[in-house]
Amino acid sequence: VSASGTEAASPDAAARDALAAQDLFELGRRAAAARDARWNRRGFFARRRAGEDEAIVRFSFRNGESDADRLARLAALAETTPAPAAIMPAPEGEPHGLDTLRLFALCRLSLPAVPHLIADVTRLGPRLAQMALGFGADELYAPIVGERALRLGDNAHNPALTRKEAAVLIRGAGLTACERLAGDTYEEVTT
Amino acid sequence: VTSPSINAIRDKVRAGEPLSLEDGVALYEHPNPLEVGALANEVRERLHGDRTFFNRNLHINATNVCEASCMFCSFARLQPGDPGAYTMSLEEAWGKLRARVDAGDPITEIHIVNGLHPGLAFDYYTDLLSGLKRIQPSIHLKAFTAVEIFYFAKKFGMPIADVLARLRAAGLDSLPGGGAEIFAARVRKKICDDKCTGDEWLEVHRVAHQMGLRSNCTMLYGHIETVEERVDHMLRLRALQDETGGFQTFIPLAFHPDNNALMKLPGPTGVEDLRTYAVARLVLNNIPHIKAYWIMLGVKTAQTALWFGADDLDGTVQEEKIYHMAGAETPQAMSPAEIVRLIRNAGRSPVERDTLYNVVAEGAALATERPFRRAVRRSLEVMS
Repeated sequence: VSASGTEAASPDAAARDALAAQDLFELGRRAAAARDARWNRRGFFARRRAGEDEAIVRFSFRNGESDADRLARLAALAETTPAPAAIMPAPEGEPHGLDTLRLFALCRLSLPAVPHLIADVTRLGPRLAQMALGFGADELYAPIVGERALRLGDNAHNPALTRKEAAVLIRGAGLTACERLAGDTYEEVTT
Repeated sequence: VTSPSINAIRDKVRAGEPLSLEDGVALYEHPNPLEVGALANEVRERLHGDRTFFNRNLHINATNVCEASCMFCSFARLQPGDPGAYTMSLEEAWGKLRARVDAGDPITEIHIVNGLHPGLAFDYYTDLLSGLKRIQPSIHLKAFTAVEIFYFAKKFGMPIADVLARLRAAGLDSLPGGGAEIFAARVRKKICDDKCTGDEWLEVHRVAHQMGLRSNCTMLYGHIETVEERVDHMLRLRALQDETGGFQTFIPLAFHPDNNALMKLPGPTGVEDLRTYAVARLVLNNIPHIKAYWIMLGVKTAQTALWFGADDLDGTVQEEKIYHMAGAETPQAMSPAEIVRLIRNAGRSPVERDTLYNVVAEGAALATERPFRRAVRRSLEVMS
């Protein structure tokens, strides 16, 4: 299946003010709707080889930044030509739950030309990364492994996921789990 | 049977009608967790507005020696002398409070939960309580789960009411909500067959409420139980609350799979956590508070739960052992300033409470901001 999709216009200044004023649930609903308009309730993961991360633009954020500041930075990013293939919010320091979810929604709504909004399991943890799928993210970023040892001892903080674990997280967020393949094609995970 | 729609459930919630088993299951199965969360938040804000409660407390787990072999437990050791087994002397346990008092920490509550130790006399427990009250008479002692109370009744040959009366005379003020797990007999048989049944757990709380004691209630979710069994658990709590009105807070406890016999299970996901909080808020319409126990949920999820039905973050919690032995990666304590900051960052208004939800401090009277301690910061970085 080929990955293309529809695009809306990036929000102007007045629309950005309106976005910043919205409550968590309204932002989440709108961001999820924007994601679904492009991806039809699909959520992705990918096995990346070395160097393939370069297509991902990292959007750094800190706790306490205002929505207005973030929206201004996102507006600048939206002007980038060609649009990035994927954007991944990257926390500086410890991310807070609600602040992070709000940022994901703002990213999705501010960057309509960017197909993929990625939640980084290695930085956010599997719980928060999965929640981000409800706020506009369409992809989980984690090393995908064939088998994973129990999360004990030295392995306690290993963020790697098996294909099945990634699919369980995506389905748990109410999306159809798909693996992204070469050339931006994908296949649904049925197991 | 067609499952109820979210619109029909919303109408019932807004009309103040209690939800049914089918409603609860439908909320669990609704494809959009945000819709369920938004409805739970509506109820949460109707009851409490933005107010979000916490307290200053100390946990004492006086012994981890336990006759029961619950499959989800990483804390218990079967016998004294087993590797990792410990039993505090009374002086040791009292010393935990003395240390807090000497440090000028104005804690208002001690939360005491222990293993079912076969070798301790009943006097150990009464002396434990009375000694703590001697050190700080105003301290609220929230002690002994219903499982412990039931064990005392059997072991020492006393009716439940007599056990509670003697503990109360020694200083017991209320009961914690632990040990409820999942009430369904099918689940209890598999994961905790050798402790009290669901009905026995409820009976202990019924007797406590009839004596004028308040208590909390819990549900351990995310292991082998079904969604129907979760909702059934909530409905049984709601029925007892209709009868007695003695529950203050419901605390959904996320199963932690490390270091126990169920370690091959994945444990609940973040979305499942939030949905469980939301469903609890909607089904338990007669229990005033829903607590996001940050020790077990993780700080990020607990903070997010404040918008999915929860209105309480528990407390500062000194020396938590039970969930850290099960792999919880949270810090073992947060300062009041850290909790206040967490609540404010969630867009909520922090309220320091005592165990019975009397306001201790609110607004400008609350602890001022302080940077996160290094230990807290480190654990936040690795927390899932």
